Order: sequence, then structure tokens, then C-alpha cells
Amino acid sequence: MAEPTQIRRVDQRPLKEAISTRGRSVIPGLTKDDVIKYFFGANAWISIVVLGLIMLSLYGQSIGLNPVDGFFGQNYRNLLIYRQAGLEFVDIIKKETSDLDQLSSYLSAARLEELKHLLAEGKKQGKTEDEAMVEANAALAAYDDYASKLGSQGNGLDGIVSNLGETVTATRDAIKNVEDRKAEKQLYLRSGKKDLADKVTYQEVDLVAATQPLKDALPLIHDANAKFSAGLVNFISQSPPVLDDAMKNHLAGFEGRVRALVVAIPAYQNQLETWDFNKPLPWYAGIIDFFFNTNWLTASQWQNYYGILPLLVGSTLISMVALAIAVPLGVGAGIYINQIATPWEQNIVKPAIEFISAIPSVVLGFFGVAVLGEFLRQLSRWGVLPPFSERLNIMTAGILLAFMAVPTIFTLTEDAINNVPRAFKEASYALGANRLQTIWRIILPASLSGVISAVLLGFGRVIGETMVVLLCAGNSISIPPLSKGLMILFQPVHTMTGIIAQELGEAENGSIEWRALFMVGLLLFIISLVINFLAQRVVHRFKISIG
Amino acid sequence: MVTTKASLMSQTQPTTMMDESIPTTQTTEVVHTPVATPSASDKAARLNAPTIIDINNVDFYYGQSKALHGINFPIKEKLVTAFIGPSGCGKSTLLRCLNRMNDLVDGTRIGAGSIKISGVDIYDPSVDVIELRKRVGMVFQKSNPFPKSIYENIVYGLRLQGINNKGRLDETVERSLRGAALWEEVRDRLHTSALGLSGGQQQRLCIARAIAVEPEIILMDEPCSALDPIATVKVEELIHQLKQDYTIVIVTHNMQQAGRCSDITAFFYMGRLIEIDATEKIFTNPTQKQTEDYISGRFG
Repeated sequence: MAEPTQIRRVDQRPLKEAISTRGRSVIPGLTKDDVIKYFFGANAWISIVVLGLIMLSLYGQSIGLNPVDGFFGQNYRNLLIYRQAGLEFVDIIKKETSDLDQLSSYLSAARLEELKHLLAEGKKQGKTEDEAMVEANAALAAYDDYASKLGSQGNGLDGIVSNLGETVTATRDAIKNVEDRKAEKQLYLRSGKKDLADKVTYQEVDLVAATQPLKDALPLIHDANAKFSAGLVNFISQSPPVLDDAMKNHLAGFEGRVRALVVAIPAYQNQLETWDFNKPLPWYAGIIDFFFNTNWLTASQWQNYYGILPLLVGSTLISMVALAIAVPLGVGAGIYINQIATPWEQNIVKPAIEFISAIPSVVLGFFGVAVLGEFLRQLSRWGVLPPFSERLNIMTAGILLAFMAVPTIFTLTEDAINNVPRAFKEASYALGANRLQTIWRIILPASLSGVISAVLLGFGRVIGETMVVLLCAGNSISIPPLSKGLMILFQPVHTMTGIIAQELGEAENGSIEWRALFMVGLLLFIISLVINFLAQRVVHRFKISIG
Repeated sequence: MVTTKASLMSQTQPTTMMDESIPTTQTTEVVHTPVATPSASDKAARLNAPTIIDINNVDFYYGQSKALHGINFPIKEKLVTAFIGPSGCGKSTLLRCLNRMNDLVDGTRIGAGSIKISGVDIYDPSVDVIELRKRVGMVFQKSNPFPKSIYENIVYGLRLQGINNKGRLDETVERSLRGAALWEEVRDRLHTSALGLSGGQQQRLCIARAIAVEPEIILMDEPCSALDPIATVKVEELIHQLKQDYTIVIVTHNMQQAGRCSDITAFFYMGRLIEIDATEKIFTNPTQKQTEDYISGRFG
């Protein structure tokens, strides 16, 4: 019989005792394991809680826990006052005069073209630039005389607009004043200061009396419209001598537009006559206005508008430009680095691209303002790009954002391609495929969902970026005119992120402007959430397909 | 210890590794070898079969480390040649040299010697590697069907060559699947994902995919190592059929498999060819002690 070997355990307790005691409790009722589990579990769940809180606060500050006080409710009242005070009425007349302004600009655009044409003609005949300019201007003298008289056709209406404008803004201010008082009183009542609340007095605005001047002005407006209409008809009968075919076309086009306006005048008159300050607004007016109004106008003397469209269009156009540049670059670089590059190139290019994401966006913004904008304009001076007026525009911001999105797209694409089993590549080569065929037919399809999610996350990066667009997008709150064609990409815009950064500091807490900005934030948040969700779904599919 | 062994082997190589009766010159005679019972005359016929791949004193490097040392032997046409040897002996490396798959691995190179297929040095700069790989197909250790349908897997090689004629593709799919003994099992689901097939079916699909481009030589890199015994039997039967039309080179860890389905067996150790001969000779009466030790399971 051999001696049993001496075994020296750390835990000297007998087997039965050792295995029958669970870990000692550190906090009563909790073992060490439990404490660790709850500690890390809590850390993980904190992010969920924070996300929920962010959503809740965004919701509370924008739509409001009580929707009547929230953005849509306030916007509804904003629109209601617009109607009740008669601003809507005056805007109908303003629309007529703005139609006239458009006609004027049509005439001046036609003049510019004609002038260019005449200058070119003069040059052909061997005249110097100055001579040609003098002659062309002389030839256009009759036209200028004609065009200058157009503006005065609307004088009658302009006078009425400025008179009534004062009346309606005064009514509006009175209504707002009463609203403020009411709110103040409510506040006192709610906090139980009844004595203070009693001191707040106000008198409801008599809307019938307040809008009476508008009704009274109707015959006056009727006369002015009749004069306007007759004036326009008379105006086109005195058209200047036609110099050439192009001018003939322009004048014919102009006449057509004027006639259209003349036809429309009775309709305007009719709108004015049937206008009623008491006509109810549908309950959803505030919502519709937010999503479809094409103006975002704050601190206006006349009327504030909170329409998301110009900002949404701006953000979308910039993102599209950025993605159009960043996707080919990022995906192409990812494919190249993973499939084609030598290890030496990989070691240089990969960290370099990834380093881009370390550049603070405000520094990129400087670069955009100081270098890229200038460079684009220089390109247009050299004739590489068609002429455009603003140095800071969609293209400037889009190019910079593309630069910021490339690292995201590159890294994720490279990862996705890296996940494609090497065996696929080998099988493809073994069947006589060349490199391009292997990439195009095997590697890209196999990594497609990964690439798509890379693009989506790149999009998320781009649409949420603030500093660069604030500095480089030109910050003009308007939807760029579609008539510009592709040159729309060289128009200045404002963005959803930019407007929040710019205006939130000045907005009064709880005011309609404040809430409108939070609405923009909420929308942005939803867009990002949807993008991330889609990206995750796509990645999930990818994992399954590789098996 | 190891180096002494290796140097000993290299001394013995030129004389003992090759049976004297194998001529290196080509003959026009084509030998169809019946599989069942090997006889003495059959063995002689096999060793006299024409050479299709001629490996001449090949040295191969992964970066600085030498993986193959002066490999030198011919591979015979329309026979099954098995490469056996312990892990890391260089048998897979050599196999992947035969269709230049090692080009895909960074830092690899042939240091000396040449590999000639039908008399052409395949490492000559003038060689069209794409065309070479069409003629020298390959089946890998782990079945690797593309994440496409069964049909698209088979026609991939043809599509690469710009062939999109449906009749031709359909015909190829049926012929290749029949050739790989898979047709009956998958004929009803040609357009479903190849990843839904079982492991053995996937490997036969890969064989079908390889023969769809009508190669002359098929290289198999441990084709059954991930398969269960039944699937293995099917693939082995398939190899027997295929050698009617193709030259097959198979790397295997499984000595019974080499014994069952190869005509000629080459034994490698530490990057050197130790012995090559008719399979039954290797398994019954090897010349080298190392071969005997390996085959009898004393190391490896």
C-alpha cells in the first residue's frame, strides 16, 4: 500500500462544509456575487434611464405634458391671433403687391439678359467695352422708362397696407397683452396669492370693433384694386420698341404674367370681402403649420412663423451632399484598405483616416469658412463651377460633413468586409475570378448589410452635426428655389441643429420660440433614433446571413 | 536533434524517394485505373502514367521561414495522388502552390525550383494566373459555399467568364451536380440558399462548383476533415468517379482515406518529401523508417 499523497488545499474545510456554504454576504441578504451583479447591472441600466429622461424632457419642453401649453397649443393661439387681429386680412393685400414685385424682378432679369446680348453684339462689331456699354444702355433707355413705371401701379394698395398694418398690429399687441395678463393672473391664483391676482385687471379686446376699420376699408380697397387692374392693362399696352427676338419673347412672357395677375385680382377682392376674423381654426392648425409652413421667422415685427420645412430641407440637402461624397470615399477606402492595400499602406492610411474623427468640428468649421468657401468661389471664378453668390452654402457645409463622416463609414465598412470569411475570397479566386470580380460579386454582397449600416450611421453623424453647419451653411432660413436646378447646392440654408444652437440662448424659457426649438430637437432625436434602429436591424440581418 | 534528422533525409532524398520505374518524361498512354483490387501490373501502369505536374526542387518561404525544402516529384495524369504527413509538414502549402493560391498570402514566395504543369512553369511572369486557376480547381478543407443559392454557387465560375446563357448554365448545373453525386438530393431546391445544406452536401456542392468550370486538375485540401463518416464515404466514392476525368491531388490527415482512395501517396515531414510511391507500397512496405513510423501511428 502506497502512502496517500499529502494534498494541501487553500481551503482546509471538509468537502461537505465547503460546498454547502454560499458566498458570505457583504450587505445583509446579498452575497459578493450579487453585489457585483447589481453594480454592473445598474450601470448598464442607467443609460436606459437617461435615454428615457432625455426623451421625456424633450417631449415635455416641446409638445408639452399639457398640449394646450405646449408648442402646438401656443402655435395655435399664435395663428388665431394672426386671424383675429386682422393680420391675415392685410396679408391678402400684401400678396397682391408682392405679385407685382415679382413682375418687376422679371423685367429686370430680362433687362440683364438683353444687356449681355447687346454687349456681345457690340463686341462682335469691334467696339470697346465702354462704347458697347454706353450704346447698349442707350438702346435700352425706352425699356428702362417702361419698367420704372411698373412699381407705381401698386401705390394705391401700398398706402392701404401701411395704414391698416398699423391698426392690426395695434390690435394684435392688445390681444397679446390681455393674454399675458390672463396668464399672470392664473399664475397668482395657482400659487394662492388671491390679493395679487385681484390686482391684475384687463379688458377683453372688442374684436368686432377692432376689425371694423378693415371692413370699412373694403370700398377703398375695391377702388384701389380697380385702379390697379386698369393700370396694369394700360401698362402693357405701352410696351417699349422691341429690339430683337429674345426681347420679344421676354415681353410676351411678361404680358402673360400681368394678364394672369389681372385675372386674379377679383379673386383677391373676393377673399377680402368674405374674410371673417371669427372664422374658427381647426384644432390641428398648429400642427399642420409646423410641418408645412415654409417660413421660420422669429422676432418679426409682423408675424412669427415656426415652420420646420426650410430647416428640414436644409439639413436634408446638406446630408445628401455629404453622403454623396462620403459614401464612395468611405466605402472605396474600406474596400481598398481591406482587400488591396499592402500592409505598409494599411499602417499609414487606417490611422490617418481614423484620426480625422479626432479633429474638433469647430476647427473644421474654421477651415470651411477660411479655406473651402474661398476655394469654391475661386473655382467658380476660374469657370470650373457656374457662378454663385454665397461663399458659405450647402456645398461648403456638405463637403466638410462628408469629411467628418468618412471615418465612420470607412471604419464600419472595413469591419464589415473583414467579417466576410476569408474562405469566400479563396473560393472565388480558386474558380478563376480576378480581384475586381471577387470584390464585386462576393465580398461586397456578403458585406452589404454591414456597408448599409455604415452608411446609415454616417448619415446619423452628418444630420446631427452642429458646429460645422452653423459656421459654413450660410444660415439663410429659406427653402432654396428649385428653379436653380443643380445650382441649388450652392445656395445658403439653415439647418435644424444650427437653428437650435443659434436661437436657444435668446429664447425665453417656456415661450413659443423656446418650445419650437425643442420641437426641432425632438424631430432630430426621432430621426437619429430611426436611423440607428434601421442600422441595427440591417446589421442583425448581416450576422444571420453569414451564419 | 531535429536538424540532424532533416539533413539525413535530404541526403537520402534524390535516390530513395522515387521508385526507379517512374519516368519523368511524358508518354501518350492514358491509364484508367480500376479502383477495386490493385495488382502488380496495375501498379506498374500507374507509375508509368504520363506526368501532368512536374515539381522541380521547389523551396518555398513564408517570409523568412522556409516551409518547403527541395520538393521534387511528378504528379501523374488522371490518378489520385495523396499527400500525407503530420500537421505543419508542408503538404497543404505544396498543394496551394499548384494553383498559386499562396499568392493571396502576403510574404510568400518560391525561393528556388519550378512547378511545371503540362510543361509550362506556372510561376513564370507570363502565366495567366486566372486561367491557371480555371484549369486547376480547388476544394477547401472547410466547405465554403458562397451565401447564394445552390444554382448561383455552381454557375459562379461560368458567370465570371461572361457566360449567361440560361440553357448552358442549366445544363452545367445538372451535369456538375450529377458529377458530384448531389443532383438527386438538391434538384428540387436549386434556388434556395446553399448555406441550408448539410456539411457533407456543402462539401459536395463545392466539388460540383469546382468541376463546373471543367478543370483538368482538382486540388483537395483535407476535403473530409470536417465531415461525419457517412458524408466522408460519399466524398470518397465521388473521388473514385472523378478520377475517370480529372487528375486529383488530395491532402489528408486520415491515412485510411489515403489508402482507400489514392493511387499514389507522398509522405511529407518537416517540409521535405520523405517518400512517394504507389499507395499500397507505402502502406505495406515503405522504404523509409519515418514513413513506417508515421503510418503505424508511432508519431504524427
